Amino acid sequence: MIDYALAAPEIFMTAAICVVLIVDVFLRQEKRWITYTLSMFALVGAAVVSLLFGTDSVATTFSGSYVADPAGNALKLFAYVIVALVFLYSRDYLERNGLYKGEFFVLGLFGLLGLMILVSGNNLLVLYLGLELQALSLYALVAFNRDSAAAAESAMKYFVLGSIASGMLLYGISILYGIAGTIELGPLAAALTEPGGLTVPAIVGLAFVIVGVAFKFGAVPFHMWIPDVYQGAPTPIALYVGSAPKIAAFALAWRVLVEGLGPLHVDWQGMLVILCVLSLVLGNFLAIVQTNFKRMLGYSTISHVGFILMGFIAGTENGVRDAMFYTIVYVLMATAAFGMIILLSRRGFEAESLDDFKGLNQRSPWFAFVMLLIMFSMTGVPPLVGFYAKLVVLQSVIEAGLVWLAALGVVAAVVGAFYYLRIVWYMYFAEAKDSSPLVAATDLRTAISVNGLSLLALGLFPGYLLNLCASVLG
Amino acid sequence: MVTTVLFYAFAAILLVAALGVITARNPVHSVLFLVFAFLQSAVLWLLLEAEFLAITLVVVYVGAVMVLFLFVVMMLNINVEELRSGFTRYLPLGIGVALVVVIEIANVIWFRSEGQAFVTPTPHAADYSNTKELGGVLYTEHVFALEIAAMLLLLAIVAAITLTMRTRHRPGLKVQDVPAQVAVRAEDRIRVVKVGPVKE
Amino acid sequence: MTVTIAHYLVLAAILFSIAVAGIFINRKNMLLLLMCIELMLLAVNFNFIAFSRMLGDTLGQIFVFFILTVAAAEAAIGLAILVVLFRNRRSINVDALDSLKG
Repeated sequence: MIDYALAAPEIFMTAAICVVLIVDVFLRQEKRWITYTLSMFALVGAAVVSLLFGTDSVATTFSGSYVADPAGNALKLFAYVIVALVFLYSRDYLERNGLYKGEFFVLGLFGLLGLMILVSGNNLLVLYLGLELQALSLYALVAFNRDSAAAAESAMKYFVLGSIASGMLLYGISILYGIAGTIELGPLAAALTEPGGLTVPAIVGLAFVIVGVAFKFGAVPFHMWIPDVYQGAPTPIALYVGSAPKIAAFALAWRVLVEGLGPLHVDWQGMLVILCVLSLVLGNFLAIVQTNFKRMLGYSTISHVGFILMGFIAGTENGVRDAMFYTIVYVLMATAAFGMIILLSRRGFEAESLDDFKGLNQRSPWFAFVMLLIMFSMTGVPPLVGFYAKLVVLQSVIEAGLVWLAALGVVAAVVGAFYYLRIVWYMYFAEAKDSSPLVAATDLRTAISVNGLSLLALGLFPGYLLNLCASVLG
Repeated sequence: MVTTVLFYAFAAILLVAALGVITARNPVHSVLFLVFAFLQSAVLWLLLEAEFLAITLVVVYVGAVMVLFLFVVMMLNINVEELRSGFTRYLPLGIGVALVVVIEIANVIWFRSEGQAFVTPTPHAADYSNTKELGGVLYTEHVFALEIAAMLLLLAIVAAITLTMRTRHRPGLKVQDVPAQVAVRAEDRIRVVKVGPVKE
Repeated sequence: MTVTIAHYLVLAAILFSIAVAGIFINRKNMLLLLMCIELMLLAVNFNFIAFSRMLGDTLGQIFVFFILTVAAAEAAIGLAILVVLFRNRRSINVDALDSLKG
């Protein structure tokens, strides 16, 4: 018997997407706000459904292909908040630049649905389909501005690399299926623990799976798409690509590596260490030389991914908790940082150069302060939450006995401080190129302020979020 | 014995076709080689008793997706010479990577595990229906995946239209307005003007 | 000389490596890259069907069914992006796509 109530959030979101899609077709351009409002209601509705039908225990349905658990529910709720913030930040910008079309919201919700399926997938088939649902909507979104050659170019790169990565992932899945005879995560782990199993083929399969996971995260050497997409895509879409999919990447790694391939921990730990070291080193050093803020954020993402991977490398229960904590904190910071670019942009002008932040303090002391909070948090300055995120992952790798990796992490954080604090320096001590006051809608200003202050608030009380992560992961 | 001969014959043609895809000078030839490779695969899948998928591959994949490829290749009118530059430069690297991959995987599959696994099961009875079997689980056990696949196809439709459909209201773009053409009356088109005699 | 499942797996491995080689050789031509990805997925499908035959269950074939669906959707979106790119640049050569570097 199928228990449909467990999958209520996905079912609601599917229906909501269809409604938004159909309503949007009949709207004139000046009534586009209806699509926006409906999408927001869809997110609020999904949150209500998730809260109403959320379970405290782990339950599966659809013959074991769907799992409802508190951690999945928490990740989904967080994803709704982030996607709502993305829509809120984007509306103004899209309107100003002639991109205010219903398809943005429809594709955004499709991506969210893919994320939800990925978070709750309990077999490799459903996880793959969720991954593709999200990835395909992201490819289309990146090429969304059809008149921009740069956007089309970065979309093409993203698409080709993503398709190759998912081909690799599938090849790995096929080998695992052949060895274990199952694609369900629990039985897969059980089959791999059996003595006398085919460990060598399993490791080959694992290596291919890691490629897929690493691409989703954007870890070096599968990172090439990140800077191009961040720079080439319109800012609201870079904001979307840079935020919610990181939750999906965490969910993919957690479900596949920890729950499905847990018995091979020793093997994937080594592979992740290589990815982590390369990401920390390359991400940080390439970020320093960038003059484009979006591209710099791209490389800084890569180095943050290195920190997220540290939690998985530890492999302990605490390690996964720390990785989840870091992912949530990172997504909040990235959303706020891209929001600031949108706030500073005007019609036909993208505030994407580092120079555009010069003298921000003279133009708007308050938003210079918010940006200061974001940059300090990304650097890892106490008492902001970014500091605690770094602290907990470093602790978990030390507990796992990898002190040298923790030391490398600290060095990477210090190097990272250079390019984050350079922006703070520009804002407070450099002359503004143009001193025009900021023009932005009130809702955008309020949301970014709340987003920035949340980094401070969570930093003052980090235990709350950390305990939440621990309790939902059980 | 017959299956052995069939396997080697079709596998050989498949590999030649696959090599053709990546080496053909003209993209149209590449697409046709790919179609050829799919047809060979369909036969090999029949040997593996996956009848339904073999038919699907030919009817749906070759019939629809490959035609879409061909359509786009023809539409874009690509400069063939330009595309082939750099081909020989990367050839050694490509061959090297391919050899490494195939040796690794064949080593794992063939040498480390022969006899241990990968036994060939006995063929199914003559009245076995592969389609019935698949249908039995597709709509029950895997119904969740099926629904996601439905959403994926909807997404593909929305995305493809979003990206490629040009709006019809661009200035200077002339489009047919069929209802207006049908509803037109003679007096809309011809104006009978009374012209008086004019003296030069 | 009977054909075993291992024969099919090695055939799939060779096909997969041809696809990988194709990606390296044709890395400037977007259209051929899309075709190499199709070849790659074909190799994956071979693996799934062979394992499905070996294990005697239909799961592998179901997986192939969904891969074919996803590949069709992927091809549609990939070609749509290609068309957008061509309209903007009059070229699908990646060599020309270097405005984003660094």
